[in-house]
Amino acid sequence: MSKQGKTRTVEEINEKIRKGDAQVLTAEEMKKLVESSGVGVAFKEVDVVTTGTFGAMCSSGAVVNLGHSDPPIKIEHAWINDVEVCHPGAAVDLFIGATNMSVKQPFEYGGGHVIQDLVAGKEVELKATAYGTDCYPRTQIKTSLTKDDLNQFYLLNFRNCYQRYNCAVNGSDEIIYTYMNKLLPRLRNATYSGAGELNPLMNDPDYETMGMGTRIFLGGAQGYIIGEGTQHSPKNQNGTLMVKGNAKKMSPEFLQGAAFTKYGTSLYVGLGVPIPILNEGLAKKTAIQDGEIFTDVVDYSVPRRDRPKLAQVSYKELKSGSITVGGKKIRVSSLSSLKMAKKVSTTLKSWIEQGEFFLTSPVERLPTDSVFKPMRQTQEIPFVVSVMHPAVTCTENEEIRAIAERIVTKSVNHIVVIDGGGKLRGIVTSWDITRAMAEGKKALADIETRNVITAKPDEPLEIASKRMEQHNISALPVIDIERKVLGIVTSEDVSKLLGRENAW
Amino acid sequence: MVRILLRFNEELVPQPVTSQIILEHKVPIAILAAHVNAKGGEILVEVPDGVQDKIVKAFRQRGVTVTVPKLIEVDTEKCFSCGSCVALCPVEAISLDKDSTVKFDKEKCVGSPCSICVDACPARAIKSVKHTNGNSNQPSGK
Ligand code: SF4
Ligand code: SF4
Repeated sequence: MSKQGKTRTVEEINEKIRKGDAQVLTAEEMKKLVESSGVGVAFKEVDVVTTGTFGAMCSSGAVVNLGHSDPPIKIEHAWINDVEVCHPGAAVDLFIGATNMSVKQPFEYGGGHVIQDLVAGKEVELKATAYGTDCYPRTQIKTSLTKDDLNQFYLLNFRNCYQRYNCAVNGSDEIIYTYMNKLLPRLRNATYSGAGELNPLMNDPDYETMGMGTRIFLGGAQGYIIGEGTQHSPKNQNGTLMVKGNAKKMSPEFLQGAAFTKYGTSLYVGLGVPIPILNEGLAKKTAIQDGEIFTDVVDYSVPRRDRPKLAQVSYKELKSGSITVGGKKIRVSSLSSLKMAKKVSTTLKSWIEQGEFFLTSPVERLPTDSVFKPMRQTQEIPFVVSVMHPAVTCTENEEIRAIAERIVTKSVNHIVVIDGGGKLRGIVTSWDITRAMAEGKKALADIETRNVITAKPDEPLEIASKRMEQHNISALPVIDIERKVLGIVTSEDVSKLLGRENAW
Repeated sequence: MVRILLRFNEELVPQPVTSQIILEHKVPIAILAAHVNAKGGEILVEVPDGVQDKIVKAFRQRGVTVTVPKLIEVDTEKCFSCGSCVALCPVEAISLDKDSTVKFDKEKCVGSPCSICVDACPARAIKSVKHTNGNSNQPSGK
């Protein structure tokens, strides 16, 4: 370490904070400073850069300890405001998971809302049951509680603060509701998440200053990073944090319960990390801008783990309100609140300036080499492609009689109508043909179904099968993106295969 | 501009009610959305401020059922400006202002007949409000 001020330490910064002369900038302000005055000046002038993010973080939850009832109970099942809470350990410890939903108002009220209500000081209703033991004889309890009645109330989040996230679109013909919110058909809108250049991990991408023991802004109070978050994947800029903080001190403004239609409930969490500018490298890293952060546009209508990536876009484009995918302009909006992310970073800045918040060095830095593996599956599920078979086809100018013969000779129930290029036009069933013959109809155009429900080859068979049930039909032509017919899958194929597979 | 929803029954469909009223009162009536078939239907129109009463009366005299579709209501206390609703709006009535606060332009919003944004709000801050009857003591979309 040289003496010419080439580095500074966390202790030195804390001393300045104590004296009230630490220079603190929000990440937004830092970018402007570096742009106007350069990295050297920024390093010399700035001690701390505050970051912030405010997004729906489903892997959030809270640990509470209720204290003992009289007679005591060893809780087996418990509900708070009709949301089932998990009972992971000893008698009266509970874990409120943000995504657990109310039995009475599913999809509208859940664990995230329970946490927000408790944080806001509201009274909640606890119900619990138990099998009863000699030491814990009680088998039922019902009571109301506020956060003041709890011994411990800690936010404990397994995975927060994704460094960046996908941008979601829907390439199908129907609206879908996902954890990326409502996606209109045929790429009519896009959603993204994350604060981009304000995100804590993006401003310290090598995790020089972050790890176990880093004091942070969490839900409106001081909290701590307790290690890498689950699914931490630093090599492709998908780092995450596991965090903990005293929820009794938090504020409902920075912890908001959320309801996503047809997906479920979650919790929006305000999280900010102060980054000590220990060296010039960090001054440079905290100058990162939205235009340098990229993410994939992913088609969420494909029900697979590896969904098709349609394009790459920067957070700058995302924040501009529209992106271009395959020449098509799509309006995009965020899922996480930029306004609140900024508020997190400015609040954290004012805490430090007022000497209420001191920085810590991590006891152990976040790993930079963990890999996020997919699940090991010992049983493969069948896909449409594994059971589909060639379709018996016809074209629109064929006579009904000829098609009737084909139904008999090939002994099938469905004939797929195609055009000269092999693309799907319609479908006719043996029943349509029988009726047409009885009614003396000749033209195929009069009897074919044009609005055909289809399947894609890489769809799980179970989903295709559900679609048949839903529409009360017994076969789906399998088509590619250009609507070329690849084959057909019938309910018989499905029942043969799924019937066997389900016999575990 | 004030939006009013006109409901036509089977007998009224073939009659040129709207054009007659335009000619008679010399007011422009913009048609924003129409769902009409031989059995009847609904048309959402926009008329200039100040003539609402006159026009509502004229349509009613001809047997049209008139309602003023109330706009959606946004609870600004609940809204945390996530932005989820912004890109969903077909008429770009929702936007982010300079400090990233989400703002609704009630002049542009087509109101409860649309409601696309309502079920996308994770804070459940947007409510679709039922129609009211078309008298002028109703807020005129402000
Ligand atoms: S109701 Fe429709 S028009 Fe009005 S703000 Fe919502 S999406 Fe836009
Ligand atoms: S979706 Fe709801 S919370 Fe989000 S900006 Fe719109 S009104 Fe506000």
